[in-house]
Amino acid sequence: MVSMLQRLDTLLRIIWATARKDMLIALSERVFTIVGVFLPVNVLILMSLFALGGSQAPTVVVMQDTGLYAQQLYAAMGHAHSFRLERADRASAAALLKAGDVVAVVTIPSDFDARVAQSQPVQVDVQINNLNTDFTNDIRRALPLSITSFYAGAFPHLVTVSPQEVDRYRTDTDYIPYLTVSVMVIAIMIGGLLQAGTAAAREWEHETIKELLLAPAPRWAVQVGKMLGAFLLSLGSVVIMLAVIIGIVGVRPAHWGEVIGSTLLILVIFIALGTLLGTLVKQRQALAVLAIGIALPLFFLSGAFGPISFDPLAVQVIARAFPVYYAIVLEQHAFHDFTLDPSGLTTSVLVLCGYTALAVALAALVLRRSTVRH
Amino acid sequence: MLRPTFTRTVWAIMKKDIATWFFLPASSLGTVLPALAVLLIEALLASAVGRSPVALVVLDSGRPAQHLAQSIRAADVFRLTETNQAQAQVLFRNLDVVAVITIPADFSHRYQAHEPDPVMVEVDNLNLDFTNDIRRAVPDTITQFYQAQGPSSPISVTVREQDLRRQDVELFQYEVLPAIALLLTIGGLLTSGMATAREWESQTVKELLLSPSSRTSLIVGKVLAGFLTTFALGLFVLGVGYILGWTRPEGIYWLSTLLVMAMIALLSSGLGVALGALLKRILAVLAVAVVLGLYLFFLSGGITVLAFEPVWLQTIAGFDPLTYGVHALQMAIFYSSSDLLGRDVAVLALSTLAAICLGILAMRRSLLQ
Repeated sequence: MVSMLQRLDTLLRIIWATARKDMLIALSERVFTIVGVFLPVNVLILMSLFALGGSQAPTVVVMQDTGLYAQQLYAAMGHAHSFRLERADRASAAALLKAGDVVAVVTIPSDFDARVAQSQPVQVDVQINNLNTDFTNDIRRALPLSITSFYAGAFPHLVTVSPQEVDRYRTDTDYIPYLTVSVMVIAIMIGGLLQAGTAAAREWEHETIKELLLAPAPRWAVQVGKMLGAFLLSLGSVVIMLAVIIGIVGVRPAHWGEVIGSTLLILVIFIALGTLLGTLVKQRQALAVLAIGIALPLFFLSGAFGPISFDPLAVQVIARAFPVYYAIVLEQHAFHDFTLDPSGLTTSVLVLCGYTALAVALAALVLRRSTVRH
Repeated sequence: MLRPTFTRTVWAIMKKDIATWFFLPASSLGTVLPALAVLLIEALLASAVGRSPVALVVLDSGRPAQHLAQSIRAADVFRLTETNQAQAQVLFRNLDVVAVITIPADFSHRYQAHEPDPVMVEVDNLNLDFTNDIRRAVPDTITQFYQAQGPSSPISVTVREQDLRRQDVELFQYEVLPAIALLLTIGGLLTSGMATAREWESQTVKELLLSPSSRTSLIVGKVLAGFLTTFALGLFVLGVGYILGWTRPEGIYWLSTLLVMAMIALLSSGLGVALGALLKRILAVLAVAVVLGLYLFFLSGGITVLAFEPVWLQTIAGFDPLTYGVHALQMAIFYSSSDLLGRDVAVLALSTLAAICLGILAMRRSLLQ
């Protein structure tokens, strides 16, 4: 019993000594440490910029008729979830379209009300700056459906078919609050991989790994110590990111305890993977390139935008092979109370714990089998 | 003592930096990975854009109900699964579908009696993006249902469309050009930045300082090395796009395309040299260059259309030279147009000049210190 306690004490001292050493070295490399803390925050801001582009086409409506039916059509367009509307005269509208400030100009003709009242054919002109098919097709669909909605409101006995919507969740979640939570996972990944990976690779670059390999310390204790150091250093950026999401973006967590628990678990997994990567790659530059280079595709392929089941099958298979997907599932539940994976939260937690254990074991194994050439 | 000529020094520096870039995987991968990753993902996700997975349940066998169901199928706005009510609920609970559309059993009866005739739509409103897609798409299919009735449709208002451009461009094609711009930006920043910082980190700057070569020739050599590698990569991606039929400039617009790409590459190389001279550490350059490159990219609108962005972002984009570069490339490649080419080239030229001057000043200052 006493020898077990002594052994435990020794192991804890090794772990703490390694962690302390790594933290002191990292703090002496001020530029990279500062970058390492703020890089994840910048990733959060950058990826959020990606989501700022709305799905509503900026459109000018030229109201050559301001009668009741024309106004109702304008209102129907406003409720079509497709347009960001403004009114203008013909000349201004043409100028806005040419300048690229709007992507469509809709002209309601001067005899619109009269013709509609008499059930006579009437054409609404639309000029589209058809830059790409995505939004162009949105406008091509949105205008006819606005007309149908207008009829359903103005002539309910003529157009009787309409959608009756039932939502799964009580309120809609705007796109940015949803996406920033997913982006935070990517940012934690980059931060964790960089902090832990550079700490591991530095030993090889500076050849201080010799002392570690010669020391009578278990390899796994050394690796855990490195992970602990990187974990403590990464906490700063995690706190800043949570402050940005909660304080600035305004996302109030549904489950505070889950947010803290999930975030720490996610940080641990990426710290472990970073240590493994750094020990394998042995070069800080290559490690940094890999960490940043992996982040971008994983951002798109891990269900950051919505449930992975909505994506093509190939994407679903790829996503489920990486821990990022499960991390996003946990954080979306913690913040928004969304269930993104029908297999449940426990599965995601177990998968992440499994990845962590595997990464730690592999890192220790790789270190054990490593050699240094003199 | 023989003094090396300016051009020989520039050439020697260029060769050295290009060889270093080529043989250091970290440098070449870091340049290429972000843009290739974006291209790959665009291709992978292109098929899913705008088409949400939806379950359709048809409880009415009457003709109007069947016509509506046919409109929903033909609309091509959904990835449709037709099933029964129970199975649809299973799919909905398992997040296999975003929505369940149910045509009720009394649809045809109500339709023929001119009574309000709702179509049930159960939506998984996780986020507004998917939800609004459904909120647009379902009324769209109802519109097509009425349009299919031809002259007997109760709706007398129709749309007459006029397109500004002679052809639509597919979304993933459209996004290739921003990806090229991203590659050129990050490529130049990284290649030149890391090449410059490496001189300090490996202390080979001493040899440069002790050599009889002029400072200007050293700096120009570094800028040109970054420019050549970046431009070559951009050409490669453009070439791949050409083979795949995505990016095919015609006639004289090849010249404007190459000119704009060259200017973006020079701009980013100049900035990269400045970055490298200021930071003097490769890792720091790597992190800052990628973030700076991505900021320039996303603040110019990224892969979206700038008009869709908030007004404040559009204002910022006006100061981002990449905005003009992407615009010029789009006009040349997709529309064989020189619309606002003068403006775009002028902005790029001034920005490139400023970036190179900044690079030269930063490096001179650092060499003198």
